[in-house]
Amino acid sequence: MTKFVPLSINRRTALMGLSAAGLIGMNGEALAARRKFVTANNNPYDILDPHQLFDIGRIAVRLNMYDALTRWVDNPPKLQMWLVEKADISPDGKVYTFTLKPNVKFHDGTVMTSADVVYSMERILALKKGAYGLFKDVVEPGTTKALDPRTVQFTLKAPFAVFMAVLSELWVVNSALVKKNEKNGDWGADWLSKNEAGSGGYALRRYDPAVGFQAARFEGHFAGWGKNPIDDAEFRVVMETATRVLGVMKGEFNTTDGYLPAEQMARMKENPNIKTWEAESIRTFYFIINHWKAPLNDVNMRKALCYAFDYDGFNDKILSGTVVRNNGIIPNPMWGAPKGLKGYTYDLDKAKYHLAQVKNVRPLQIGAMAGYPQSEQAAQMLQAGCAKIGLEVKIVTEPYTTIAPKLNDRERAHDLIPLWRSAYFADPHNWTGFLFNTKNFDAGNASYYSNPRVDELCDQALIVTDQEKRRVMYEEVSQILVEDAAGIFINNTKFHGAFTKNTKSIRFCPIGDAQDVRWIEMEG
Amino acid sequence: MKAVRIFRDRALLIGVVIISCLVLVAVFAGPLSTYPDHVTGFDPNHRLTQPGWQFLLGTDRMGADIYSRLLFGARLTILISVIATATAVIIGVPIGLVAGYFDGWASEALMRISDIFLAVPQIVLAIAIAQTLGPSIQNVILALSATYWPFWARLVYAETRSQRNEIYVEAAKAMGASPLRIMALHILPNISGSIIVRTTIGMGATILAAASLGFLGLGAPPPAPEWGRMIAESREFLPKAWWYATAPGIAILMVVMGFNLMGDGLRDVLDPRLRRGGSDGK
Repeated sequence: MTKFVPLSINRRTALMGLSAAGLIGMNGEALAARRKFVTANNNPYDILDPHQLFDIGRIAVRLNMYDALTRWVDNPPKLQMWLVEKADISPDGKVYTFTLKPNVKFHDGTVMTSADVVYSMERILALKKGAYGLFKDVVEPGTTKALDPRTVQFTLKAPFAVFMAVLSELWVVNSALVKKNEKNGDWGADWLSKNEAGSGGYALRRYDPAVGFQAARFEGHFAGWGKNPIDDAEFRVVMETATRVLGVMKGEFNTTDGYLPAEQMARMKENPNIKTWEAESIRTFYFIINHWKAPLNDVNMRKALCYAFDYDGFNDKILSGTVVRNNGIIPNPMWGAPKGLKGYTYDLDKAKYHLAQVKNVRPLQIGAMAGYPQSEQAAQMLQAGCAKIGLEVKIVTEPYTTIAPKLNDRERAHDLIPLWRSAYFADPHNWTGFLFNTKNFDAGNASYYSNPRVDELCDQALIVTDQEKRRVMYEEVSQILVEDAAGIFINNTKFHGAFTKNTKSIRFCPIGDAQDVRWIEMEG
Repeated sequence: MKAVRIFRDRALLIGVVIISCLVLVAVFAGPLSTYPDHVTGFDPNHRLTQPGWQFLLGTDRMGADIYSRLLFGARLTILISVIATATAVIIGVPIGLVAGYFDGWASEALMRISDIFLAVPQIVLAIAIAQTLGPSIQNVILALSATYWPFWARLVYAETRSQRNEIYVEAAKAMGASPLRIMALHILPNISGSIIVRTTIGMGATILAAASLGFLGLGAPPPAPEWGRMIAESREFLPKAWWYATAPGIAILMVVMGFNLMGDGLRDVLDPRLRRGGSDGK
C-alpha cells in the first residue's frame, strides 16, 4: 500500500498542533493512551475541498474538518445553530443577519470573522460545484456582506424557506489561508483539494487519495469537547466489503459503512466484540430516468418501466428486507411524504399495456454504479423485468466518479441510473425541488424532468414558512411525481451500523451517517 | 507418428482432455445446463442457496444457478481468448517476420515499438485501454489483442533471424524467390512449431487476463456470465457463500492449466531438441 505523504506543515503550525493536542511534555505512555477511531470507507477521498464535494461518501471531510453556520444532529434530524450565536430574519424572509460566536478559531489559530463566511459563499457561487445548486437561485454573487467582524448578512433574491437548513452546507474556510494559495484566480481549488483550511473538530494531519486521511482532535474548537472524545480520527479507503467487515471484527477498524449486505451484518451481529446499531434513515433508492432522451419523455414509456420492476423481489429477497418499500421520492419518515401514497407494483400486464402505446421504442441503457452491488442488482432486476415485456435493456457499469459528472450533462447521461438520494438537509426540498424543479437542470435535476405544476409548488413551498402549508404542497408534488412516473422509486434504507465494543456511544444522524466523529465517545 | 506421441506425453494428454471438455461444454451449454434461462434471468426466492440437487453449484446474489452460468461462461471465455489471441498472432507474426528478415530502420522501428509495449506489464496496459474505452466484451478483446501482439512479434523476429541465413533460405534466394515467398513458404513453416506453442500458452494467459479485467469490472457488464465478474460479485458474500467464488475459480484454474499443459506438451512434441529423456525420438 502507498505510504502516507506528510503534508507540508511548517514547524510553527506543527508545534501549535502538538501543544493544542496537549502532547508537549507528555511521556510516551500518554501518547499511547490517545483514543483512536478508524472508519473504513468504501469510497475514495479523491479531493478534500468542502466546496467541491456534495455527497455522503466523502462527507467525513466536511463534517470533521469544517464548520458551518448550522448543523444537523440526531434522528429524526434537528437543526442546531452552530457557528451562529444569534440569527435575525427580516419579516419579508429575504434578509438573514447572523452574529457569529466569538473566538471561533481556525486550525492555524486565526480567528474566524464574517469575512470568511462571505468568502466561502462567494467561493461556492464561483466554483459552481458541490452544493452550488442549493444556493444558486437565491444568493447572487456579491450580495453577502460582512457588516462587522462578527456579523454577516445574506440578502436573498427571494424568500427561501429552507435557507437555514441548507446553511449546513456552507462550510466556512479560512479565507486568508486559501487566498494565499490561489493560483490564476482558481479560488485555491487546486490547493484546497489536497489541503485543509477549516475550523472543525479535527485538523488534517495526513492525506493520500489512495489511502484516506488522518486528523487529530483540535483542542481549541469553539464548541468544546465532551467526555472521552476521540483524539485521532482516521478515515481509510477500503473498497473490499469483506475486508472492511473482517477489519471491524478484528478491531483494526472501529466502524464501516452502515449499508452492508444482510449476510455480512449477520456475521457482525454474532461477533461478541461488536455492537450493532439500527436506525431508519432518510435515504431513498430510485432510478433516475433521463426525460431528455426520447422515448423516455413519454409517460407511457416511464410507466412501463415502473411496472416492470419487481419491488418485493428486490427489497425483500435480494436485499433480505434490510430496506423498506418507499412509494415516492420523499422518504416515508420525512414530513411531506403523503400517507397512503399509492406507488407502482410489479405488474407485467400493465407494463405491456403502457409499452404498447409508445412510439419509436429503442433499447435503453442503464448506467449502474460499479462497486455498489445494490445498484448493479437493481439494474439486473429492471433488465429482467423489461426482457419479459420485450424491451431490450443494456447495462453498463461505471464508477460513481465517472457517472457523477454526467449527471449534469443531459446528452451524455445514461437513460437510467439506479442510485440513492441521501439527506443533505432534512427538508422535503432535498428530494423534490432540488431534484425535479426545471430551474435545477444541470445542477441537481439529473432527470431533466419538467412539470409546471411541480415547479410552481416547489417554488411556492420555498417562500412560505409555515410547515403545515408546505407539507400540503410537498405531498402534492410527491403525488404528481408518482403519477408522472418521474423516476422508479424503490425503497428507503435503514442504517445498520457496526462498531467495536469500546465505542461507548454514537449519535446517529441521517445526515452524515454517524461519521461526525465529535459525537463518538470511546473507552480509554 | 505425432498422434502417437500425443498420447505418450501425459501432460499434453491432460491438457488436451481439459481443453476438449471446455469446448464440449461451450458447444453443449444449452442441453447441459439445468437452468438455461439463468444467463440473464434469476429467481430471487433462491438467492445464495447452497449447492445441492436443485442447484448443483449453488446460486448467486440474484438467485441464478451458478452451474448453468458457468457453462455459458465457457462460451464467453473461448470467444474472448480465441479472438484476442488470433488477432495478436495476425498482427505479431507478420511484424516479426518482416523485421527479422530485413535489416534497416523499418525493422528497427518495428522492434522498438514492440519493446515499448513489452516494457509495460500487459495487464496494466490492458486495464488502461479497457478503462478508457468502457467496459464491454469487444473492448476486452481489443485491449488484450492490442497489448498481446508484441510477444509474437518478438518470438517470430528472433526465430526468423536465426533462420534467414540457413542454407535452405540461401537456396531459395539463389533460385530467385521473392522475399515474400521466402518468408511465407520457407521460413514460416519452419518456425510454426514455436508459434503454435506460444499461442497455446498465450490462450491460457489471455483467459487469465480476461478474467482479471472482468474481476475489476472492466469486462462484460452484468448479467453476462463472465467468470472473472462472478468472482468479483462473490466477494461481498464471503466467507458465507463459499461456493459463489469457488466454482468459477476452479473453472479458471482448470482451463488455464489445461492450455499451459497443452502448450508444454506441444513444445515437447514439436521441438525434438527439447524432447524429454525416455520418450521416443532418441
